[in-house]
Order: sequence, then structure tokens, then C-alpha cells
Amino acid sequence: MTTITPTATHPAQGARSTRLTFGGVLSSEWIKLRSLRSTVWSYLIVIAISLGMALLMSLSMVNGMGGGMDIDGAPVEQQHELVMQASTFGVYFGQLVVGVLGVLVISGEYTTGMIRSTLTAVPQRLPALAAKGVVLFVATFVIGMLANLGAYLTATIVFGTDLELLDADTLLTLAGGALYLALVAVFALGVGTIIRSSAGGIAAVLGLLLLLPTVLQLIPADWAHDAIPYLLSSSGMTMFMAIGAEDSAIVGPNAWQSLLVVLAWVGVSIAGASVLLKRRDA
Amino acid sequence: MITATALTKRYGQKTAVNDITFTVRPGQVTGFLGPNGAGKSTTMRMIVGLDRPSAGTVTVGGKPYAAHRAPLHEVGALLDAKAVHTGRTAENHLLAMAATHGIGKRRVREVIELTGLESVARKRVGGFSLGMGQRLGIAAAMLGDPSTLILDEPVNGLDPEGVLWVRQFVRHLAGEGRTVFLSSHLMSEMAQTADHLIVLGRGEIIADAPVDEIVAGGTRPRVRVRSPHASQLADLLAAPEVAVLRSEAGVLEVTGVEAAGIGDLAAAHGLAVHELTPQNASLEEAYMALTADAVEYRTEAVR
Repeated sequence: MTTITPTATHPAQGARSTRLTFGGVLSSEWIKLRSLRSTVWSYLIVIAISLGMALLMSLSMVNGMGGGMDIDGAPVEQQHELVMQASTFGVYFGQLVVGVLGVLVISGEYTTGMIRSTLTAVPQRLPALAAKGVVLFVATFVIGMLANLGAYLTATIVFGTDLELLDADTLLTLAGGALYLALVAVFALGVGTIIRSSAGGIAAVLGLLLLLPTVLQLIPADWAHDAIPYLLSSSGMTMFMAIGAEDSAIVGPNAWQSLLVVLAWVGVSIAGASVLLKRRDA
Repeated sequence: MITATALTKRYGQKTAVNDITFTVRPGQVTGFLGPNGAGKSTTMRMIVGLDRPSAGTVTVGGKPYAAHRAPLHEVGALLDAKAVHTGRTAENHLLAMAATHGIGKRRVREVIELTGLESVARKRVGGFSLGMGQRLGIAAAMLGDPSTLILDEPVNGLDPEGVLWVRQFVRHLAGEGRTVFLSSHLMSEMAQTADHLIVLGRGEIIADAPVDEIVAGGTRPRVRVRSPHASQLADLLAAPEVAVLRSEAGVLEVTGVEAAGIGDLAAAHGLAVHELTPQNASLEEAYMALTADAVEYRTEAVR
């Protein structure tokens, strides 16, 4: 190791003139998010799944395998609806990937001990969680939007329909899908903070997204069936798929009500995480 | 300056730190000694707010750690060499830590050079040896050029060169007027590094004094005597408060009598003495004497 020279420990002039700010914590969390391979892989997978699913789905629809539909003969409105279905189909799988990512963003810090470095730098703690949430939300929304736009492009090419990117309903649906992905990631961040372990956190999030709807369906009781539309995944799907649909055509909450339900899930998760993060020893 | 007042930490039934009060002063190296499980790490974690005290308070520079506007400029802490995400490179780890306080890339480069990490800065921390992890931890602690440094077992896993480096480094930092608080289980290391010692056992402070005082007070002085008449001399020295050990032929290790007393006695009986050397008690011995109770208690508790 280097020997000490008298100047070696003298700080850069002005090194101590800085202080802890929320902007600094945001930029720190951004560096952390982008400097891990798990993030890069997760986002690449989200994009790949979106494009791949859009391609598969639209090909099977065009070839009439998805229920023997005659696409060319269908009215324009129905064609548009099918294109939107194909281009947002990837969100169903993407939510699982960003759910895992959301857990890993914090559980990775607990399993490696990094959390102690994080909380030493940000001893008030909650700004660190908030910054993680903001960075994760924005990054996931942007990636989700890119993935959905790519999927939409893929589907219109396969269907041979016109691009309607400036159409409000189209944009709202694609953005709604991306918003849902971003919210699932933040929800998972809360779960990861509460559970503090990668395996446990991932199991909880995937169980909630995948298993719970099935379980509730199998329970032979009205309350169980009534609860299904209010689950995170079902309200998430309604939130962007039902945009533009007539309210009367929907059973259960409409798109905007579903968005509120999703926000409630995220709110509960982050609130629980905040209380525990603040209270527990790290 | 670190000030702990009636600091206590309980985990369920177990009391890790029991009502300790101490002050760590600037401008000197304060060693924190104690057997494993004595509560050193817990105390250090409470100083930087990672663990919440069950009772009592601890402040750094007059304020609780979390109340500082720029905690990293106030305190640099190496609490755990492994407090780093293994999937991230050393450089990115430091950049992320620095970013919280708006500390620039130039300072990050400085601490990388300071700790000799240039060659591995762009490698993932997962592949680091314990020694490299320690250097990275020290680099992170130095980012904010803090006035207080808290280092938990900083020489753990370092090679002899690294140990020497840390020793010079902390002495240098203290020389600049900073507060340096470091724990180590290597007593010999403390004897060469620390000015002041706080000895912890069973979560309680056993000693809080300058190193010299602890060394002097912890053990009885010992005198090495070499004489062709060793056996005769041993018989003459025999007394209830005197212990005589024969370490090798013609050599006695005497405790309980001063060197002068032995010399006078030998002269009075006309016995030749070839060597008469007061032995400085080592810090290790002093430490063992101090913590003997705590260690015994722990062994029984485990059984």
C-alpha cells in the first residue's frame, strides 16, 4: 500500500463545503441503480418480452389462430383494439420482472450489508427510500414506455394497420401500461424493505401478482370473487386496458378507479416500509 | 469529539451495552478494546445511528449524528468491511456514496489513490479480498474528509504492510487534530497505535485511561534476573507477595520486588548478578488482567 505523504490526507479544497441534499441522494440512487447488472438485465428483459409478446400475439391473431378471427374483415375499431391488446400483452410478464427488480433494489443492500453504508450517508433514512422509489419509478416508466411503443410498432406492422401514435386513447393505454410497471416496481421496493431478504421479498411479490388471483378464484365464496378486481394485478390490467372503454361495459371499477386501487397498494407498501425502516436497527 | 452518556443497548433479554459513559477526544487515537461480543461494534453502530440506543444518548461534535447537515463530513465510519454491494465496482460504490453529499469525482479519485485501490477500482467488490474490502471501507470513510473517524477492526485481514499503513494513517489523522476512534482485538497493535484506551467487557467499561497508565496499572512490574547463583537467589527472594519463575537455566522472572531490591539483596549476600532488567508489562498482559473476569463470565455463560 502507499506510504503516507504529508499531502496525502489533505482534502481537496472545498471538499467539506458540500452537504447532504435530497438531490444528492437522488443522484446517488441513480448511480446505484445503473451500476448493477441486475438492473440492466431486468430492463432488457422487459423490452425483449414486450416486443416478443407483441410479435407472437399479433402473428397468431393475424393468422387466425387466436380464435379464428378474420382480421382483414373486422371493422377498424376492432382491429385497433386487437393491436392494443397485442402491444400491451408484454406488461403481464413485465410486471413480474420489475417486481423482482423492485425487491432486489433494496434487498440486495440488506443481503450485502450495503444498507449500512447507505444509512450512514443518509441517517434520516426516509430520503434514501424516497430517492430509491423516485429513481426506480422514473427508470421503469421510461423503459416501460419504450417497450410498449416498440410493441405497438411491432403489432401495427404485423397487422398492417395505420400508426395512431397521436391518438389519445393509444397513448393513454401505452403510458398506462408503463405507469403500471413503474408502480409495481415501487410496490415491490416497499415489500423488499419490509421483508429485507431477496428470496422472501420476491416470493411475496410474485405470490401476490400470480398466485393470489388464482387462489381467490378457487375459493367458493362470493367475497373471494368480489375481491379479485381489487387485487394489484387485476386492477393494474384494468387500469390501462379499460382506458377509452365505456364504463357500462366494465364489471367492477373503471380505469381511473383501478388506478386509485393500484396507488393504494403502493401506498400501503411504502408506508409500511417507511415505518419499519425508520424504526428498525440496520 | 464523541460523547456517550449512559448509553445502553438491549436485544431482548440480552444487554449488549450497559450504561456506558465516555468521551473520545480530538487530536489523539482512542483505542476501543474488548473481547468478542463485549459490545464494541454495537456501540460504534449507535454512534452513527444505525442502532437505536435502548437508553442514554451519544453525540458527535455536540449533536446526534443524524442531526448533522453533512454527516459524512462529520464522521467517517468503517463499521463493516462488507458494507458494500458485491455487484458494484469499488469506484461506483464510492461515487454513489459521494453523490449523497455532492462530493465530486476528484475527491473519489483522491481516496482511491490514498488507499492504493487504483488497480482494482473498476472491479466488482464481490471479488475483493478482506484486505481490499478494508481499504475500500477506509476510502469510503475518508470521502467527506471527516473530523471524526470511527474504524471497527480496521486492520482485520490486512497484510503486515497494510497494518503498518493503517497505523501510520490513523496517527497522521489524529496529528491533524481529528478524533480517531478505533477498535481492534490486536492488543499489541493498540499499544503502538493508540494514545488512550477504553476497555470494554460484558458491555461495561472496565478501563478508560491513557495507554501508559493501563499498561502500568494493569500488571505488576516484572524483573528479569540472570545470575550464576539463580537457585540461591530464588530462595532468598521467597516471600508471600513475590513470585519467582525460572524461564531458563540461570534466569529468573521475578514479580513483586523492584529491580533495586533484588540488586541490594544479591549484593548483601555477595551473589553475582549478570543481568537485572525491569520488564515492561505488555498491553496484552494488562488487557488480559483487566478482562479476565469478563472472559470467564462469558465462557460460563456459553456453557
